[in-house]
Amino acid sequence: MEQPVQTETWKAESLEELVRILHRIFAEDKVSVEEVQALMESYESNPEEWLQYAKFDQYRYTRNLVDNGNGKFNLMILCWGEGHGSSIHDHTDSHCFMKILQGNLKETLFEWPEKKGNGEMTKKSERVLRENQCAYINDSIGLHRVENISHTETAVSLHLYSPPFDSCNTFDQRTGHKHKVKMTFYSQFGERTPC
Amino acid sequence: LPAGLSQWFPALEVLDVSGTGLAELGTELLALPRLHTLLAKNNRLGGPGSLPKGLEQAPLGRSLRVLNLSGNRFPEVPPALLGLRGLQSLSLGGNRLHGIPPDIQELRSLEFLHLGGNFITSIPPELANLPSLSYLVLCDNKIQSIPPQLAQLHSLRSLSLHNNLLTYLPREILNLVHLEELSLRGNPLVVRFVRDLTYNPPSLQELAGRTIKTRNVPYAPSELPENLVRYLSLASNCPNPKCGGVYFDSCVRQIKFVDFCGKYRLPLMHYLCSPECSSPCSSASQSSTSQSESDSEDEASVAARRMQKVLLG
Repeated sequence: MEQPVQTETWKAESLEELVRILHRIFAEDKVSVEEVQALMESYESNPEEWLQYAKFDQYRYTRNLVDNGNGKFNLMILCWGEGHGSSIHDHTDSHCFMKILQGNLKETLFEWPEKKGNGEMTKKSERVLRENQCAYINDSIGLHRVENISHTETAVSLHLYSPPFDSCNTFDQRTGHKHKVKMTFYSQFGERTPC
Repeated sequence: LPAGLSQWFPALEVLDVSGTGLAELGTELLALPRLHTLLAKNNRLGGPGSLPKGLEQAPLGRSLRVLNLSGNRFPEVPPALLGLRGLQSLSLGGNRLHGIPPDIQELRSLEFLHLGGNFITSIPPELANLPSLSYLVLCDNKIQSIPPQLAQLHSLRSLSLHNNLLTYLPREILNLVHLEELSLRGNPLVVRFVRDLTYNPPSLQELAGRTIKTRNVPYAPSELPENLVRYLSLASNCPNPKCGGVYFDSCVRQIKFVDFCGKYRLPLMHYLCSPECSSPCSSASQSSTSQSESDSEDEASVAARRMQKVLLG
């Protein structure tokens, strides 16, 4: 993605409209990160519209595919039980947008470890994302861990990845060692898809 | 809650009174025979009398399967709950618990236990006697060690230990074959080799227990006081494959690092029944001289590789 000639300001009134506008944006050759982030943030979360995709698993967070963007992007909903969190991971040279639909998620940013990672990874910053906020990350910004730190509330987030990817690296915080993992979907288009 | 609740809604199955400021759940709930899910999180429960008297014997006590009391003010696991033999899911996350009562083992049907976000400092080995426990959340507490008996939780699929005060783990954790998720981040896990050579000689009770177990001395639960029957059930096997010994509380502790294919190094605590026993996981500098020693080393490294997939670093 590079800087486009002009940036539109979009307002998505529903999840369906959000998907439609995303298809339009990504049909172009050039897409603006700011435009997508503003669009995602403009959608006011309405559980009735996404409840069908929000399938929770009691053991860990789930990834539920909503739309595969004609191959240009993946739009998915992640469901986080109380205390569920991800490992530190990268984004395989893709752009990642994360919008909170319900609850709160803590994002901790890390520096890339040194080549021969052999020490504790360096924390850059952390923040708690609130409902309807949208965060953005890519590999040049760094790595992150996302977690629902609440012991009483579940959290739901909407993620857009472009281009789509199905594997990434996870990192051991204490040593910086990385490990490639394949990512799977808990459900696709509202249907449970066990692997 | 209204006093006529059980008369108006006798078929009630799910009740959510979360975030209502309730300071007590009263007797009006007891006569609801079909209520299986009670959600009462984010209230002001925790003082004496928070739960109705006679809960265990009431229709509610038999029907309850899911109970969520997270985000309240309980200073301890309410004793009234411990008699709920049908309870499958219990959440007391975000309360003020300082420990877990050994009688937690009375919750025979428990599959899901969430105790994250409290002030728990230790885990009673009796927790391992829950036969169906598959999801155990202990994150965000002050836990300093995990009892090796926890490896007896054969149905455990997910164990959440992040943000505690753990410096090592018991080697037996590798025995949890069904474990799919294990979180350990935010613990001061030791990164250097540590050898703890202190060894407190076993007590007479321990010696008697060891003899009963290793010589298969028969005993019937009716012949012994209940506390001794329970003590005998907590025996752990010495990991040294050449030693058929067991131990209870007295053991030699040695921290060895299990290297998961060069990616993760977990400090695992080896409990050995005596200083004469040697650990099955030989360190790299030692050379294994016997076939049985290298067999056990392979077994440990296979288990370690299995655990590698499980780690959420």
